[in-house]
Amino acid sequence: MAYPPRMSEATTNNDRKLAKILAVIFVVALVMGPGPGIRLIDPGPDHSGPTPTFLGLPAIYAWGLFWFLVEAAVVITAYRTIWRSEAEDDR
Amino acid sequence: MMILDVLAEVAGKPDDAENALFKNTAFVVLGAYLVLLLWLGYLGYRKSKNSEEDYYLAGRGQGWIVSSLTIMATFFSSFALLGAPGIVYRDGVIFALFALNVPVGALAVFILGSRIRRVGRANGYVTPGDMISDYYGGGAALRLLVALIGALYAIPYVLIQMNAGGVITKAMFPDNESAFAIGSGCLAVITMLYVMVGGMRSVAWTDVIQGSLLIFGMLLAGFAAVAALGGVGGFLDSVAELPAKSLSAPGTTGGFPPEKLFTICAVASIGSMVQPAQWMRYYSASSSNTLRRSALVFGTVLPICFLFGVMLVGLGGQALYPTAEEGGKVVAHSDVGSFDSILIVVLKNHLPDLFGFVGIALAALICVAVMAASMSTADSNLHALSAVFTRDIYARYLRPKSGEGERTWVGRTVIVAATAVAVLLIELQRADSSFEPYKLIASMGFLAIAFSSQLIPLTIDILFVRRGSSTGAVSGIVAGLFVLFFFTPFFSMNAAGNPTGDQVLELVAQVRSNIDLGSFALVANIVVFVVVSKFTKKPSQETRDQFAEAIRPKTND
Repeated sequence: MAYPPRMSEATTNNDRKLAKILAVIFVVALVMGPGPGIRLIDPGPDHSGPTPTFLGLPAIYAWGLFWFLVEAAVVITAYRTIWRSEAEDDR
Repeated sequence: MMILDVLAEVAGKPDDAENALFKNTAFVVLGAYLVLLLWLGYLGYRKSKNSEEDYYLAGRGQGWIVSSLTIMATFFSSFALLGAPGIVYRDGVIFALFALNVPVGALAVFILGSRIRRVGRANGYVTPGDMISDYYGGGAALRLLVALIGALYAIPYVLIQMNAGGVITKAMFPDNESAFAIGSGCLAVITMLYVMVGGMRSVAWTDVIQGSLLIFGMLLAGFAAVAALGGVGGFLDSVAELPAKSLSAPGTTGGFPPEKLFTICAVASIGSMVQPAQWMRYYSASSSNTLRRSALVFGTVLPICFLFGVMLVGLGGQALYPTAEEGGKVVAHSDVGSFDSILIVVLKNHLPDLFGFVGIALAALICVAVMAASMSTADSNLHALSAVFTRDIYARYLRPKSGEGERTWVGRTVIVAATAVAVLLIELQRADSSFEPYKLIASMGFLAIAFSSQLIPLTIDILFVRRGSSTGAVSGIVAGLFVLFFFTPFFSMNAAGNPTGDQVLELVAQVRSNIDLGSFALVANIVVFVVVSKFTKKPSQETRDQFAEAIRPKTND
C-alpha cells in the first residue's frame, strides 16, 4: 500500500490538537520547574527549622523530579504520536 | 580547569599500595581505551569514501544508536563529570532544576533536527552556513558571520579540552614529571588522528564509547555517594541536615535565581543544539525516525543520569566533605580542594572501600571517562571547525573551483593545523602562566553557547516562518554579537578604570548573575532581525517555496 504523499494530509486534526496541548503542558513545566514557579516551594536561604521535604527528598529536588517527569511525559507522548506520524511519512 | 588542578592534588596523596594499584589499573585502562579509539578511527577510514558528504556526514547514513550517543556526548562533555557535580557540591540542590534543560534540547533534536536533515539532504548541505546562506542569498557577509559563530564556538572548546587531557593524566600519574605533556600530547594526537582519517564516522563511533562511559560514570558516582552514606536512608538523612542555603534557591553562592535557570533551560539548551557540530549530526542522520529515537533517548536518559548521578554525588559530597565559608566566599573541603574534583574524590575515596579491587578498577575507569568526555568534545568541534573552514571559506572564497577530494584533504590539513596550534598554545602557557592568548581563548569558552544561540532566529525563520531577509539576518547576528562583546574579556580589559567603562562593567556583572547571556543578546538579535527584515528584500518566492517543499516529509526520498 502506498504511503500518503504529504505529511499535511496524513496529519489528523487530532494530532494538531494534541501538539497544542503538549506544547502548553511543556511551557507550563518550564515556567513552573526551573522558572518563577520555584518560588512556590522554595523555603528561602534564611529559612530556619526543619527543611521542607517530600518523601524524604529536599523539596526543590522533588520539584525538579516532578517537572522532569512532566517534560519526559510530553516527549514520550510526542514520540509515540505526532512525531511517529511525521517520521513514518518521511520515507 | 582549576577543578582539574585540584584533581591532581587529590591523586597526589602519599603513595600506598592502593594508590599504586590505582595507577597501574588506570595505566592499563587508559592504554586500552586509547588503542580502541585508534582502532575505531581505522575502521572509520576503511569504510570511508573520498567524498565530502562521506567525510563530514558519514554518508548521511547514521543510525539511531550512534546518533543518540554522539549527540549526547557532544552536548555534555567533561562538564557532566567535573563541572556539574562541582556546581551541585558548591551551590546545592537548586542545580537539580538545570536537568530540565535537556528535554528542551530533545525537542530541538526532532523538531529542528528532522527539518534541517530534510533540507540538507535535498540540497546537499554540509555546514549550517550552507543552508543559511543558500536560503537568504546575499553576499559573503552572512556566510562569514555564521562561520565566525562556528569558530567562536569550536576553537575555545578544542583548546580547553586538549589542555584537560594533560591535567587529567597528571592527576592519574602525579609522580611522573612529564605526565601533563604526555597526556595533553596523546589526547591531541590520537584525537587528531581518528578525526583526520575517519571523519564523522570515526568521531561518531568513538562518541558511542565516550557517551557510554559518560552515562556509566554519572550513574556510578551517584551510587557511590549513596552507598558511602549508608544507603538511601542514610543519604536522605544526611542531605536533610545540609545548611538551609544548600537546600534553597538561589543556591549557596546565590548564582542561580529562577530567571537565570529559566533562560538557561528555555534558550541556552536550544543554542547548544544548533551549534555546528550538532547541526552536522542532523544532516548525518539516516532518517527522521533516527532523530525521533535520538530525541527520546536524549530527553530521558541524560536527565536521569543527571538527577540520579550528578545530583546525588554533589549533594552526597556536601554531606561527606562539607563546604565552608571563608571571607564571605564558599570554599571546598580541604580533602576535596576544588569543587570540580568532588566526583573523583568520592569515587577514589569510597569505591575501593565498597568494592575492593573492583572499586579501584572502576575509579580508574571513571578517570578515563573524564578523559573520554574531553575527547568527545574536542573531536566533534575539531571536525566541525574543519568543515566550516573548508566549506564556508576555502570552497567559497579561496578556491571556488576545488574538487571534493581536494577539499577533503584541506579539511584534514585544518585538523592537523588546529591541533598543532592548540598544543603550541598549551605549551607556551605552561612555560609562562601569564601567556595571554591561551587565557583569552579559554575564557571565550564561557560564551560559546551564547554565540551559537545567535543562530536560533535564523533557524526558526528558515524552517517555520520564512519572512526574514538577508539584511535582517546579518543585522540581527551583528546586534547579538555586539551585545555579547560587552561580556568578553576584550571589553573588560579595555573598559576597566574609566568611569563609563566601570558603570558598564557593573551592569554587565548584574546581567551575568541574573540571566543567561545568550538569551540577553538574543533579544537584541530578534528585535533587529524582525525590524530590518520588515523593510528589506526577502528571498524570492521561488526560494521560499523550494525550502517549504524540502522541509515537508517526503514519501520517496
